[in-house]
Amino acid sequence: MGLKGYIARRLVYTVILIWAVITVNFIIFALMPGNPIEAYVSKLSKMDEAKFQQMLKYYGLDKPLHERYLLSLEHLLTFNFGISYNYGSPVFEVIMQRLPNTLLLGGIAEVTSIILGMLIGVIVAYKRGGALDTGIVTASLLTYSVPIFFLGWVLITIFCLQLHWLPTGLEQPVAWSRVPPSSIFEYISGRLYHIALPAITLILFTVGGWILLTRACILEVISEDYVLTARAKGLKERTVLYKHVLKNASLPLITNVALGFAYIISGATITETLFSYRGMGLLTYSAIMTGPDLPLLQAIFYILALCVIIANLIADLLYGIIDPRIKYA
Amino acid sequence: MFKRSKRGMIGLVIIIIFSFIAIFAPFIAPYAPIEPKFGVGEYQALGSGVGLPIAYQLSKPIWYKYLPWIPRGEITTYATAYTYTYQTFQFLIPEEKYDPNLTPSLTPEQKLSISVNDRIYLTGQVSGVKKVEAKLPNQTSIELIENKDWQAGSTISEVVILHRFPDDTQITVTYTTGVDLVENMKIVKDHKLSTPESFEEWNWTTNSKNYINVTYNSQEGLKITGTDDSGCIQISYKNPPLSPPSTVETTLYYQTFAYPYYEPPKRFWIHVSSKATGIIGYYVDVLIYSENEGKEYVLYSKSMSMGDYSPLVVDSNDPKVASNIGVSSHPQSKVFGHPGNFTFGIRIRFTPQNQDATIYIDDVDCLLYGNIFGLLGTDNAVPYPTDLFSAFVYGARVSLIVGVLTALFSTFIGLFLGLFSGYVGGMADEAIMRFADLLLVLPTLPLFIVLVTALRTTSGTVSMWNIIFILTLLGWMSFARSVRSMVLSLKERAFIEAAKAAGGGTLHIINRHLIPNVFALVYITLATSVPGAIITEASLSWLGLGDPRLASWGKILYDFNNSGVVTSKGLLEYWFWVFPTCIAIALLAAAFILLGYALDEILNPRLRERR
Repeated sequence: MGLKGYIARRLVYTVILIWAVITVNFIIFALMPGNPIEAYVSKLSKMDEAKFQQMLKYYGLDKPLHERYLLSLEHLLTFNFGISYNYGSPVFEVIMQRLPNTLLLGGIAEVTSIILGMLIGVIVAYKRGGALDTGIVTASLLTYSVPIFFLGWVLITIFCLQLHWLPTGLEQPVAWSRVPPSSIFEYISGRLYHIALPAITLILFTVGGWILLTRACILEVISEDYVLTARAKGLKERTVLYKHVLKNASLPLITNVALGFAYIISGATITETLFSYRGMGLLTYSAIMTGPDLPLLQAIFYILALCVIIANLIADLLYGIIDPRIKYA
Repeated sequence: MFKRSKRGMIGLVIIIIFSFIAIFAPFIAPYAPIEPKFGVGEYQALGSGVGLPIAYQLSKPIWYKYLPWIPRGEITTYATAYTYTYQTFQFLIPEEKYDPNLTPSLTPEQKLSISVNDRIYLTGQVSGVKKVEAKLPNQTSIELIENKDWQAGSTISEVVILHRFPDDTQITVTYTTGVDLVENMKIVKDHKLSTPESFEEWNWTTNSKNYINVTYNSQEGLKITGTDDSGCIQISYKNPPLSPPSTVETTLYYQTFAYPYYEPPKRFWIHVSSKATGIIGYYVDVLIYSENEGKEYVLYSKSMSMGDYSPLVVDSNDPKVASNIGVSSHPQSKVFGHPGNFTFGIRIRFTPQNQDATIYIDDVDCLLYGNIFGLLGTDNAVPYPTDLFSAFVYGARVSLIVGVLTALFSTFIGLFLGLFSGYVGGMADEAIMRFADLLLVLPTLPLFIVLVTALRTTSGTVSMWNIIFILTLLGWMSFARSVRSMVLSLKERAFIEAAKAAGGGTLHIINRHLIPNVFALVYITLATSVPGAIITEASLSWLGLGDPRLASWGKILYDFNNSGVVTSKGLLEYWFWVFPTCIAIALLAAAFILLGYALDEILNPRLRERR
């Protein structure tokens, strides 16, 4: 059995999760007291008859509940999210324009944050009890508890308004709408220039958590007997730390990579709004502010949940490959 | 043992301080947290519910006046703009909006057909333009001559450029202006004229000395029920049997006051209520006499008619007031242009009707709104700016209630479900745990947003209790998981088996044996789940999903974010708007985490050994 069985179990579990997300989505919008979808659609009837008929048909509001559930299952599985109220175009198209931006921002922030967090966490755990440890743990606690938009405001003030190093908003230079970038190098540098500040904000927001987690995981392992054995064998301190301690401590960290991704998606909602970075977060904000645009909001939530579920699956599979207890079970 | 944990003590002290602030908020906060007004019902002729804003929008903290490095007095500053050609007109765009990539390049023929009559707006109380300079794109500087290349606009704070320049020419105007920190001033001490002494502060003159007498009347004034303020000023006119005057003019002057600031007030608001008998109509003029200029500004003249008390309000925001003294806007800048002594007055004019007449005047008030107010200034709410210190104090209430209640509810749901699923096991266990996994895997904030928006679509608004409910709904999972795993290991212990053998029922075992063993965990989770709730509540409000009528910290942050101050001026200029709130959120969150850590160390012996 071993690895193959593990992977099969995870895949089945993922499918169940996707089904559950669709169901939760249906429950929130169709079954919650007051019935948001019906309230939303009936509000449309006063404003826009054509859109009202469209929505009525899309949600199958004339059909019994179980048929509506099957309808929504079919819609979400086939990525048929209907027409966005604000944009007037299919929701899927709107989302597909924005999703890469969010994944880019989230990806850069997550990877940098994990690497930084683990490095600092190892150092701090190794020198635990000292002034460095206390200082960094306190700082992590503070960045972890400061609201993310405050970090953003501070960074905007320093880097945009005082130093004029970085732009305050958008995901690419304004001029690109008239003159597209001429070379791939210009494209990459332009994107990075605009992504820098939102990414730094997100990194600051999450790195504290990673430092604390790494520190805790290492402290958990460092008092184990086999570490004592390794030391007693006369191994170098660095070998003990990286080969024996970090390797074992990294297992729970990997599980948290996927959870961290969900956390970053949450943070990105606010960061993107703050920096007018046109990703899923800003789309969410505009969907709340104008309308609300329920079809769009429903789809955004579903797609973000899918991203997180897929990230979880990948983390689980990685875990299976790395953890020998699963491979050779 | 708790005293030995320094971090825990720090956390506890912070929590106690904030709880104190939250509980005694009405005693600590000087104003209401939302739409604060003062003098509600005091100006009776205006209506019973009418009150005045406590200060002007975007005031700075009042203690700024003790900071020596804040510039006050007359200073020289400059404004910069760039030329920009669009179609056939040349514009000046302010430096902060200037983008060199935007200016199109025009052929010389096109440029010849371009006209210019654009202006640079100077900020502050401008007392004189010193120099206007143009820096051409090839870096040569030329000084522009008044009335040839530029001239003053309709007010002194505009400079009209008459000349045409190549695109991207930088035009700099150097000018002197006054800056100051102006406090709110109430000129008339007792506007209700409740005592005869209050009348002694008034002087009067008239053009008909023999027929007019001005006295204090203790009966006829506007009266708020239950208070003793029935006094007013009475102007009595005694009609002579022979040759009555054609017009009677009486002016009441209040004591001269010093306006010590180099910057004009942000706004003035003057109110007079009057009633008359014995004449059909009369005029009320509101005036301010400036000693420096030796000039009298008549801010407003209103014709009133006989009858009961009717009000006259003179507001500097009223464009009519500006045009009365010959400016297009900001009449206060013209009147209070420089520090000096001023006198506030009311003039009553009427044509006698061959009979005695009496005019009563009450609720005379003159307020000058400055630009500093309160411990933390004010926000930009229109028309009633919020005192940010009061909003901050009341906000602690909402945050603590949301945080603590959410933690309580979600911890107990988690405890219950964890115990149940761990002890009972089987299908129920599987279902609960899979559901918890599902909720844990979903991105939290988008899920909150979806839930709150769905709620809002059906019920219109979202109350604090809705937020607590939703946060609780999504806050129990990780605790339920840890309780379950603890119960699973406890279940196999000998003492549980012994209890079972002794005939203990399920409830008895859960109550007497399981709960005491997991209760240490309950305390820790209670402490550590508060910060998440506080921050999520603030984040939801920040996104505009909070209750706009609720004075929460999130509302302060939302207002700040929507004010546009962030990207135009940054935190530096208006730091007092959000800095205290954000620091308080962080401190409170960190305090609960520290408390949780301390409890963990005390209640979890394994951790104690490791240290």
